[in-house]
Amino acid sequence: MLVVLRDLLRHRPEFALGAVLVGIVLAVAAMSLLAPHPPELTYVVPPDLPPSAAHPMGTTSRGQDTFWQLTFAIRNTILFGLTVALLSRILSLIIGLLSGYLGGAVDRVLMSINDTFVVVPLFPILVLFYFVMRDSMSWAALALVMACLGWAYDARLIRSITMSLRTREFTESAVFSGMTTRQIVLQEHLPYVLPIVFSTTLNNMNWSIGLEVTLSVLGFTSINTPTIGVMIYWANQHTALVAGIWWWIFFPVALVVMLFVGLFLLAVSMNEFIDPRSRLARMRGGS
Amino acid sequence: MSVPLLEVEGVGRTFRTGGQLRPRRVRAVGGVSLTLDGDRPEILAVIGESGSGKSTLARMILGLLPPAEGTIRFAGAPVAARRGRQERLAFMRRVQPIFQNPFEAFNPLKRVDRYLFATARWLAGAGPDEARSRAERALRQVGLSLAEVGGRFPHELSGGQLQRVAIARALIPGPALLVADEPVSMVDASLRMSIVNLFRTLRDELRVSILYITHDLATAYYISDRIMVMQKGRVVESGPARAVLDEPRHPYTRQLKDAVLQPDPAAAETLEAALAAPPEEEAPVPG
Amino acid sequence: MAAASVAAAQPAPRPGPVLEVRGLRAYYRARHFGVVREVRAVDEVDLAVLPGQIYGLAGESSSGKSTLVKTIAGAVQPPLEIVGGSIRLSFRGGAVETSRAGAGELRALRWKHLSYIMQGSMSVLNPVRRIERTFVDFAARHIGLPPAEFRRLVEAHLQRLRLEPAVLDAYPHQLSGGMRQRVAIALATLCRPELIIADEPTTALDVVVQKRVLALIRAVQRELGSSLLFVTHDLAVHANLCDRLGIMYAGRLVEEGPTAELFRAPRHPYTRHLIASLPRIGDTVPREGLEGAPPNLADPPPGCRFHPRCPLATEVCRQRVPPLAPAGPGRRVACFAALPESLA
Repeated sequence: MLVVLRDLLRHRPEFALGAVLVGIVLAVAAMSLLAPHPPELTYVVPPDLPPSAAHPMGTTSRGQDTFWQLTFAIRNTILFGLTVALLSRILSLIIGLLSGYLGGAVDRVLMSINDTFVVVPLFPILVLFYFVMRDSMSWAALALVMACLGWAYDARLIRSITMSLRTREFTESAVFSGMTTRQIVLQEHLPYVLPIVFSTTLNNMNWSIGLEVTLSVLGFTSINTPTIGVMIYWANQHTALVAGIWWWIFFPVALVVMLFVGLFLLAVSMNEFIDPRSRLARMRGGS
Repeated sequence: MSVPLLEVEGVGRTFRTGGQLRPRRVRAVGGVSLTLDGDRPEILAVIGESGSGKSTLARMILGLLPPAEGTIRFAGAPVAARRGRQERLAFMRRVQPIFQNPFEAFNPLKRVDRYLFATARWLAGAGPDEARSRAERALRQVGLSLAEVGGRFPHELSGGQLQRVAIARALIPGPALLVADEPVSMVDASLRMSIVNLFRTLRDELRVSILYITHDLATAYYISDRIMVMQKGRVVESGPARAVLDEPRHPYTRQLKDAVLQPDPAAAETLEAALAAPPEEEAPVPG
Repeated sequence: MAAASVAAAQPAPRPGPVLEVRGLRAYYRARHFGVVREVRAVDEVDLAVLPGQIYGLAGESSSGKSTLVKTIAGAVQPPLEIVGGSIRLSFRGGAVETSRAGAGELRALRWKHLSYIMQGSMSVLNPVRRIERTFVDFAARHIGLPPAEFRRLVEAHLQRLRLEPAVLDAYPHQLSGGMRQRVAIALATLCRPELIIADEPTTALDVVVQKRVLALIRAVQRELGSSLLFVTHDLAVHANLCDRLGIMYAGRLVEEGPTAELFRAPRHPYTRHLIASLPRIGDTVPREGLEGAPPNLADPPPGCRFHPRCPLATEVCRQRVPPLAPAGPGRRVACFAALPESLA
């Protein structure tokens, strides 16, 4: 495993760059543990100070240190993205595998549900969700809703892979070896399905974070917990750009862009690596 | 006389091809009957070219496809009516397949001994330790050993070795019938005869009957007891192997026999004789 | 040299071989995440094909015969690289070193002096164009006739392969496999190339169709006087078709000679075993297969590549590579046991 990572770092510049970018972002998120003040407190430092030695990213109009706010913000944003991605992966895996392997009526029913979710317009639903939930809106609820909206596309991908695997002769060998359906799906088919799952996870994270930022900037989420979007929301509320407090907008945006680009580069460079065909080619090379 | 091992009576199956607007019905198999003796093990060769229906027949006998007409009975009980895992396992203990492409019969991403151990566990009731010794015994029966193939991936073995591992796997539960669909056509010529000879040993020493499906008349002549010739889904001639091939009666069988090239330049009739016979299809098929 | 069979009127043979391969080495070199892998698919091969000759190349999987044929046809693309040696094609009007030729030179050669028939006819026939268009695309510029006359020429040529002119107006999917393969042969022979390369052209066809197609291939070849390099693993086809036969094993040519003689008295242990193991209808002599398996070409055994499976192997076989040395008129063998003189 480590050899693999080392090879990736050495020979694939996209992976190295992506790893560096994501690494920086994660480091920043980790530093939230060292923050001097909890993030909800306001007016703990003099407001509107430009970047300096004491405050490397300046302070906000709400009297918070931009840097420490940012550490919390990016941490929450990452956690949110991860949660949505993981929950929706589980859903798409279950539905895709069941649909692909069992076929027949089960497949038809699941795919009609699937296609409904694919065409549903996400943004209006999420906004509606906010208006319905309003004060009882929580991040957990939002994550759950987004996970429920984000599985459909990938479930179809997984289903088509599973369907093609079902007709391959090694599946029949496995059946005649007495393996149960669950064993066949999990042990024989999953290695072919996982590469898709992994790359869609990273893309899914980008998607959910992007959506979260959009919603938060417009104020459609709980604005008391700091996330990147919420920071930008508050900055807009205080008309930061007009007032010349550029650092309040610039640093969150820069960091989230760094996260996007890093995740994207990782997904792209690892995708070819995990793909079963290139794995096979490498296995033949190593033997 | 005891219950026949295998009884196929008037079996037929039709496939629908083409789109929704102009579907075509292709009669893959029609009115096929055969019987395998329950007392004496034998090798029955099913000869046919592509499109003769021999593979479809094999799949129906294995229970992978239900016949649209007719019945298939194994040891007195209908094959298509097996329901539930226990009944299917009981069937698989007695009937096992050998597939054409040994590289497809195993999952390229998994080690081959997996299938041996799974078969030992599920179909031979062996615990984890006993599974190893069962696998070893089966491998020795085909001239291999766990030392040679244990822990290996399919691409690390030759076609001949892989096919022998597939046969070993099929032998573990002690089956009464092997359904071998073109088992040596994808194996190199120098390795082919050891597998064909193995079939003979299986019949004589292990008392296994073999349904040997092939287009190769020479190997069929070499090891089969009886032979059945199929053309376009129907049986055109059947009987004792040597008798049928020495003196074929049906024009199609004669045509097949004439078309076989002997690997012997001294006996080579001029190829030009083939030009004299009128071909079957000359006009382009209307699209 | 030519087998005793139907003799058709042939143009006067040109002097010298049509194809000369010397010391050819072609490897697959791939880099996967830092792991360099070199598969020595063709390792020091010399052979020559004379005008009007049918030269058969036999071998099993990973023998290198398909790679050899690809390099001769000029279809060399990464990861395949020609690492050494030369391939020289001689034709009326000159000679070309195809191992060093550029893309433009190769294109001028194709279909006019060098053509090929592959296993799948669909790799040559465009599924969305009528057959006539494919002929025009490939061959019209070499022939240089106005369209109506070109069509007449093609129809006359198709007749040689027992194909109706109506075939020209059809799409490939409307024809059967055998007919498509015959179209591919017509395409490959239309411009009367000096060398035709056929790589398993009949392997995917039914046995009955195969025999007809082979007969047609030979009839056309005899009539046009082209040389034919015929590659297949099926020794029965070689026995019935080829004048001269070369046996490849693990990237090397191990035996070569006139077909009839090779079958009558093979000298290399691999050839011997291979021929002895082939079953024939009508005899009940038990036949034995060979033990072991062909070697991994990324890590081949030292010395003679056949020695791990050879019943006659001795110490010297493990250490030195036997050279392909003369063993009688028109015969060559690469084996220390079969040809002790080659030890010197």
